[in-house]
Amino acid sequence: MHRLLARQIRQSTDETGQVDLTRLGELVSAAYEESDSDRRRTDRAIKLMIEELERTHKRAEQDLLRAREFLDSIIENIPIAVFAKDAKDSRYVLLNRAGEEYYGMPREEMLGKTPEQIFPRDIARLVSEQDRRVVDSGTPMFLEGHLLEVGVNGHDRLVNSRKLLVRDGNGAPQYLVGVIEDVTERITNEARISHLAHHDALTDLPNRSAFNAALDERLERAQEASTSFAVLSLDLDRFKEVNDVFGHPVGDMLMRAAADRLAAEADGAFVARIGGDEFMILMPNDIRREDALALAERLVEVIGKELEVDDYLSQVGVSVGIAVYPDDGVDAVTLLANADSALYRAKREGRGRVCFFESEMDQELRDRRLLQHDLRQALEQNQLLVYFQPQARMNGEVIGFEALLRWNHPTRGFVPPDQFIPLAEENGLIIQIGEWVLREACREAASWPRPLQVAVNLSPVQFQAGDLERSIHQILLETGLAPTRLEVEITEGVLIGDFTRALNLLRRLKALGIRIAMDDFGTGYSSLSYLQSFPFDKIKIDRSFISNLEVTPQSAEIVRAVLSLAHALNIPVVAEGVETEAQRAFLEREACEEMQGYLVGRPDLIERYLDLIGVAVERRLYA
Amino acid sequence: MHIQYLHWNAAHGWRGANALREPAQLVLYFGCRDRLAGGERYRELRGLYPDSHIVGCSTGGQIHGDDIADDEVVAVALCFARTQVRLVDEPIESREVSRDCGARLARQAMAEDLAGLFVLSDGLSVNGGELLAGITEVLGPDVPVTGGLAGDGTQFEQTLVGADGEPLPNRVAAIGFYGASFRFAHGCAGGWDVFGPRRKVTKSEGPVVVELDGEPPLDLYTRYLGEEEAAAMPGSGLAFPLRIHDEAEPDRQIVRSVFAVDRSAGTLTFAADIPEGCTAQLMRANFDSLAAGAGEAGRQARSALADEIEGDKLAILVSCTGRRRVMGQRTQDELDAVAAELGDDVVRIGFYSYGEIAPPAATGRCELHNQTMTVTMIAEAAP
Repeated sequence: MHRLLARQIRQSTDETGQVDLTRLGELVSAAYEESDSDRRRTDRAIKLMIEELERTHKRAEQDLLRAREFLDSIIENIPIAVFAKDAKDSRYVLLNRAGEEYYGMPREEMLGKTPEQIFPRDIARLVSEQDRRVVDSGTPMFLEGHLLEVGVNGHDRLVNSRKLLVRDGNGAPQYLVGVIEDVTERITNEARISHLAHHDALTDLPNRSAFNAALDERLERAQEASTSFAVLSLDLDRFKEVNDVFGHPVGDMLMRAAADRLAAEADGAFVARIGGDEFMILMPNDIRREDALALAERLVEVIGKELEVDDYLSQVGVSVGIAVYPDDGVDAVTLLANADSALYRAKREGRGRVCFFESEMDQELRDRRLLQHDLRQALEQNQLLVYFQPQARMNGEVIGFEALLRWNHPTRGFVPPDQFIPLAEENGLIIQIGEWVLREACREAASWPRPLQVAVNLSPVQFQAGDLERSIHQILLETGLAPTRLEVEITEGVLIGDFTRALNLLRRLKALGIRIAMDDFGTGYSSLSYLQSFPFDKIKIDRSFISNLEVTPQSAEIVRAVLSLAHALNIPVVAEGVETEAQRAFLEREACEEMQGYLVGRPDLIERYLDLIGVAVERRLYA
Repeated sequence: MHIQYLHWNAAHGWRGANALREPAQLVLYFGCRDRLAGGERYRELRGLYPDSHIVGCSTGGQIHGDDIADDEVVAVALCFARTQVRLVDEPIESREVSRDCGARLARQAMAEDLAGLFVLSDGLSVNGGELLAGITEVLGPDVPVTGGLAGDGTQFEQTLVGADGEPLPNRVAAIGFYGASFRFAHGCAGGWDVFGPRRKVTKSEGPVVVELDGEPPLDLYTRYLGEEEAAAMPGSGLAFPLRIHDEAEPDRQIVRSVFAVDRSAGTLTFAADIPEGCTAQLMRANFDSLAAGAGEAGRQARSALADEIEGDKLAILVSCTGRRRVMGQRTQDELDAVAAELGDDVVRIGFYSYGEIAPPAATGRCELHNQTMTVTMIAEAAP
């Protein structure tokens, strides 16, 4: 009997053993009820659970599908060739779009096939061997930057390829997965970037950092092998002027052409452009000084040849300084500084020259710095003086003076103007000094009883910086000198550079009544276009032609030509550096208007020329 | 230890057997709310045992021996030879202060030789999990704590606890047993199986589950129970407890059953906190698996009582109202299963509760359970 029924009978039996059938019926019926409801609940729960699980399953399937589609689309679109093969027989089981492009065939032709069925025999053998190696060893294969072995894209592409083994749940080889990445662009870009980092963009020559590295390496080798080598420091002459006159595009072309010539002539030496118009050359080991000199002179010669650039004929020169290891320095800094000193000397001695470093150059360079330093104090400490040199008509009648700057250094004595004026121009001090000279000259001239001319030189730097017009105007007001008595002398350097600005400034000065003279005519470019573009009041023929009048017939011809040109343009001419009567006579014959030189009088303190300016000596001295 | 067993019914009043030779230290009694309310039964017992601690609670049915009774009140009077008994109790005003209440109780009961704590608590206005947390916080993990939450049949309206006084709602009592001779063994098992998909508790506030997989949990239960049975929620909901998976403690078996419904919000309140974001799975059982689970609890308790015992042995069975609800007339089967494991020499008493307290075998940490059978054995070792 069922345990429950036994219990129900027991519960329906009273103390006398009588079974209450109604009670028993109720219990049994309730038990059936309970069972039914339990079964219903269970059935319902099972049905719902199945439904829920089905929904969950469907959702999971959809999620799986979406995840699969997502992964598929990523693999399909990844710009790297991806393939998978069966690890057993190397049969392709997956290939993405980039893979089709790489192999140059649609995946239908590859999937399910072995390398032997797809590729030519030698390639198939190579591929299969790689596959076996990866499967057998279990270690991935990685080939970097190798040329394509297969594929129709040709053999000019570089690829990174890797293959690795994928194992199944039991650890048995299942798939070979491979990726092939075209790195041609990356490798060429890397090479290009590396090239750019070490080369000058304009000329493609090695740059300063490449040169420094090469020099360091050379020093190391030379120290080990006890050899010697030469460092050449080069600077193109007049390149800045070309740039200014013809513009940067032409300057760039010229620079490239010059660089090409240097590289071609350098004979295997290491040529670098280290900035602007500066180059460095590192000559091979065990070089003799004569070899370095020969190379430098050859370079001066080839660079000096006319270059035809974009229909312009242009000529630049080069100056070269040479320092030799170990005589002129055993470290990079010293060698470079000394090559530069030599270069500086070469440029100073006239362009297109070659100089070896000599130890006194070092001293010279330091000296130059010292001088520049002293110059700053010169103005404050009244070391600067203005000298006056008379200018006269050809009959000797003095018509004015040129004011000339002198520096009486407390320990060095008089420093030549061609030494300190470039220094003043270099650091901009010329603006202050120039203004001071102008003021002194004007004040002096204003005090003269005779209304003689006073000529003052202006530096190109004064034209480029500062407010020259305002300061001249101010000085004329201060000193009370009539503008018509002031003459400013400019060289063509003033017009090179910002031509329009300079021209406008000259026009405004002229409008004040100031006279403008073209100085040093016949040297430099002496472009006739300058004479055309501005109505100069005077042309000064450079002293070099006058001093050579009796020596070279060409000089006489040039002087004649200048004079006839000036006369044609109706511009009076002053001849500078007239020292002899013969020179004066020649110039008078050729109808030169005015002269200046020792023949008339040396530059000196105005006190020497009191009579000329109309001051009685006594009055001046004792006034 | 000596035990006197008593029971009360409307026809005969109190009847007992084997009158004790010594005065009892402790009287435990269980009855349905209607019979205990008003304090009549308590006062009768007080008359019988003027010097004993008298502790009892309302239930979802009382267990005595092999039988289940709803109308009778069952009691045991215990006379210990070498064990001291102390009774502590605390009022509890709301679920929010459950942890504090537990801690206060434990501090009162705390002593060097505390060998076991048996807790009877209000079953509706207490967060059982927090109450236990408060107790174990003070006692530490080594003092065994068992007991149960008072019941109210399947009405879920009011539960009563009496501690040396009239049984009242909002009360928690704890009996501390002290001394080296005291033996306290326990077992705890369910017999439920998870079924259906795992669901996410997408929104919860303490013990109130607001959303399961984004839908009101009442909708889920209504679907599973059918409209007709769902009308009998929360009682009918006991058929489908929830298994809670705590990611932090995957070994922890947490089973929670519904004991309150908010039909307008569609939310369900469970016996303890259900953290938002955890995973929940429905559970179900059949008669045989529940009976087998009860047998397992009996086996655990019996095998834990290894020493040689002097005198009587008492087993307090605290089983879940939900189990009774599911098993119906077959509930007897689980009592039979426990009896078969415990043997004939153990006096059995107990009740159907709203929550069982015992350390599960897996963790040993005292916890609140739902839908389990817990067996607490009390005895004294031979000197």
